[in-house]
Amino acid sequence: MRQSEKTDWFFIVALTLLLGLGLMNVYSASGSQNTLFTHQLFFVLAGVLIFWGASVFPLRLLEEAVPFVYFSSLILLVLTIFFGSGPAGRWLQIGPLNIQSSEFAKLCVIVLTARWLPALRREYVTGGVSLYLTAVGLLTVLTLLQPDLGTASAILMIVFSMIYWAGFGFNWIFLFLSPLSAAVSSVKFVSWLAFTAVLSWVLYRSGAKPRRWVFFLVMTTVLAAFTPAAWNLLRPYQQARLTTFLNPEADPYGAGWNVIQSKVAIGSGRLTGEGFLKGSQNELAFLPARHTDFVFSVWAEEWGFAGSLFLLALYAVLAWRILAGARRSMNPFNSILAAGTAAFILIHVVVNVGMTLGMMPVTGLPLPLVTYGGSHIVTEMLLLGFSYNTIRNWRSY
Amino acid sequence: MGVYSSSHERPYRSMLIVAVLAFLVLAAKLFELQVLNGEYYRELSSRNHIRSVMRPAPRGIIRDRNGVVLADNTPAFTVSLVSVEFDTTDTELLGELLNMDYSELRERLEAAEATPYRSTQIRSGLTVEEAGRVADNMYRLGGVSVEVLPKRRYNYGTSFCHLIGYVGLADSTRVYEGELAGRTGLERILNQRLAGEYGVVREVVDAHGRVVENFHGGDAEPSPGESINLTIDSRLQFTADSLIASTGHPGAAVVLNWKTGEILALSSVPGFDTNLFVGGISSENWNTILADPGKPLLNRAWATAYPPGSTYKIVTAAWLLESGIVTENTMPDPCYGTFHFAGSDFKCWGVHGRLNIVGALTQSCDTYFYRTSMLGDIDELAEFSRGYGMGAPVTDFLPGEASGTIPTRELLNQLFGQGGWGLGNLMIASIGQGEVLATPLQIAVTAALVASGGELPPLSVLKGEPESEVFWDTSTSEETFNIVREGMRQSVSSSRGTLHRSMNYLPVEVFGKSGTAESGQNEDHAWVTGYLQEPVPVAFAVIIEHGGHGGAVAGPVAAGIIEKILEISNETE
Repeated sequence: MRQSEKTDWFFIVALTLLLGLGLMNVYSASGSQNTLFTHQLFFVLAGVLIFWGASVFPLRLLEEAVPFVYFSSLILLVLTIFFGSGPAGRWLQIGPLNIQSSEFAKLCVIVLTARWLPALRREYVTGGVSLYLTAVGLLTVLTLLQPDLGTASAILMIVFSMIYWAGFGFNWIFLFLSPLSAAVSSVKFVSWLAFTAVLSWVLYRSGAKPRRWVFFLVMTTVLAAFTPAAWNLLRPYQQARLTTFLNPEADPYGAGWNVIQSKVAIGSGRLTGEGFLKGSQNELAFLPARHTDFVFSVWAEEWGFAGSLFLLALYAVLAWRILAGARRSMNPFNSILAAGTAAFILIHVVVNVGMTLGMMPVTGLPLPLVTYGGSHIVTEMLLLGFSYNTIRNWRSY
Repeated sequence: MGVYSSSHERPYRSMLIVAVLAFLVLAAKLFELQVLNGEYYRELSSRNHIRSVMRPAPRGIIRDRNGVVLADNTPAFTVSLVSVEFDTTDTELLGELLNMDYSELRERLEAAEATPYRSTQIRSGLTVEEAGRVADNMYRLGGVSVEVLPKRRYNYGTSFCHLIGYVGLADSTRVYEGELAGRTGLERILNQRLAGEYGVVREVVDAHGRVVENFHGGDAEPSPGESINLTIDSRLQFTADSLIASTGHPGAAVVLNWKTGEILALSSVPGFDTNLFVGGISSENWNTILADPGKPLLNRAWATAYPPGSTYKIVTAAWLLESGIVTENTMPDPCYGTFHFAGSDFKCWGVHGRLNIVGALTQSCDTYFYRTSMLGDIDELAEFSRGYGMGAPVTDFLPGEASGTIPTRELLNQLFGQGGWGLGNLMIASIGQGEVLATPLQIAVTAALVASGGELPPLSVLKGEPESEVFWDTSTSEETFNIVREGMRQSVSSSRGTLHRSMNYLPVEVFGKSGTAESGQNEDHAWVTGYLQEPVPVAFAVIIEHGGHGGAVAGPVAAGIIEKILEISNETE
């Protein structure tokens, strides 16, 4: 440990504003339910403590504790699958706390990836890749089983951002992504043909050996063939989410209803918004899930285009400061962990805000630091704490 | 510089670029929604209405004097629709689920458009299966809801089809579309009291019309309508119904208590099932009712005026005595069966010889009345009859009550022209024929006035709520009443009395008067009126349309009703 750099005021101000505005927004969105605001206040205060702890925690210790973190997270996920409660059985109740274990799964995957990628880069060992893939895959599958499609997709996107950050090329990422792409392409025969053509081109360019050719082609073909069967395994509401996204007009009053109401709320905010506690869509309870999934719609209705841009700008500043810190960091683990955190923030913001704007499928992904809920705030504050740690201690190796 | 720091330059730039691009896309979309189309969404937002759902109040329960429930409410499934939330391309699907014709449904949908933000009833009275089918498909039918609403039920709809009447869609929408109101009978007259206060629930609804949550404040629970007890004794009413029906003719019967003015029975046969009208009658049922030769829609008890025939002689006799034309002992020339006067034959139904007024009433001798009434003045008879409740309604609460007619100079001049009529019209009027028309209720009132010595209280049909306005003023002396009473007593008790055969067997003293009213081409109307003094102070009138001879046809019906009255009176003692 060396002497820390001075305070990154951009980071601190952006974080503080996000937390403060988020609290305000939850207050407005929760209407007469004061308990929601009180809980959120408690979560944020706890989050600040956790942030402070994480920002001074020796990251080397964390790196060494990764297996422990991994297995605790795994246990949480398994427990959730068997004893989950709440609306979709995604919460694990421990005493008075409802823990959303998929949030910790994200944290765990980011830490795990940060731990493994430098090693993978140094020595490209098939055994290492398999172990890592199995570990991440297990977490993703367990999250999917919960069932939390949104979180599972987010995990994958974060992981690929980190892989990219670690210096792996796009070919590598395409191959990594090939199982998912194969599944999606199976919707139409033509799209599957196109996918297979691109896959072959990537394999050719990366100079793959025959064994790898066979592995990828067979794997993707089998996946594409079985996707329709797997589709039927999805819960109806998950199917509805996907089809609504692919064709929103198909069910304007079904799952698309939330999005329509959200767009009405956002649009009616106009340039400067209707004012704090004055959003009629929000206050008259037309917005569904308004303190959770659609919290941004509340914000956009009450603060308008100006307020929406301001909020997005705060996230951008936060992500920019983290990426800058990650770029400077001399420690590969710290760097990749911070990059994963930035990806985490950016992906969550884009997916969540995109959802409220009708540009992304309706998933349960929270708006970082702003959506009501303890688990994701704790996770985010932990990751941001580690990132701030990285920013300030970029020289540590 | 560490090994990794330099290698992060490229991902750093591309990640920032990707992030900025993604945020720009979001910002562009925000710009489109909030700045370019902000006004449009603002408009949409203001249309996201809180829905005011009217909760109909259960109507007041109607009971008879003994607490027998005649009209109450039963839960019924109703499909309602909020017009703004309904996608008209779903009309066909909705029609299929509701078993409704396209045109019929279209009509209801147009009605719903009148109050686009409020729930409008599309069809009520659904079976559990039908309601379930709609509920299963609600997710694809925006704005459609299935509710359980109170539905009016008439337990004896046919018997009380005229008195209680029925509810249907209100003429003018007072509060909400689909609102019900009393259309006929007491349901209409007492609608304000029976209807109760509708409740309002303000709901925030999603596009399915599903309640997201109740709006805070402004809710009002429906308060049920006032329950009402009738003076009617349904046992008596049912007895009268079945006795009239057993004659095979349409008819009516009225029973009232002449000491209290309470109406005990108002029977009109045949009736129709008012339950068919609740929530709209089908054209099939409507045509069946219209095609019934018994004309069930005709209210015979108080809304139809008939020639009263000899029952009117009660009034004529009192008039003759009061005006001094006759005394108890006056015996005009004998009845030979036909009275020749001014070149015309005035027929009597029999040959009665020389009679005084008691005998004339007992045997219902027309000749006696021809010979005596011709000495009087037609306007005086009309004026006197008016004092007995003839020629005008006798209540102000029975809907559509007929006035009946008593001929006056003015009326006869209108009908026949000056000089186009003569003394014959008065003579014919004196026996309740010609231009004289009266409702069974009015005839029952004349009997009640005789029984009570003119002290009949105003009629009432609501138990515990006596009326105050009197529609008669007999100004007849007790002496005259006694003479008329004696005539009515002997009509039953004397072996020559017209009602002797059909009513004398009864264990109580019955005062009666029969009537056989000519009704043009058809068989005569058979009438009986009368009263009891003991054990129950009741007066009654019975008419059997085209039944024939009063004593022979209406007499047994009246006797049956009296038997029931006695039975009821024995039970209560």
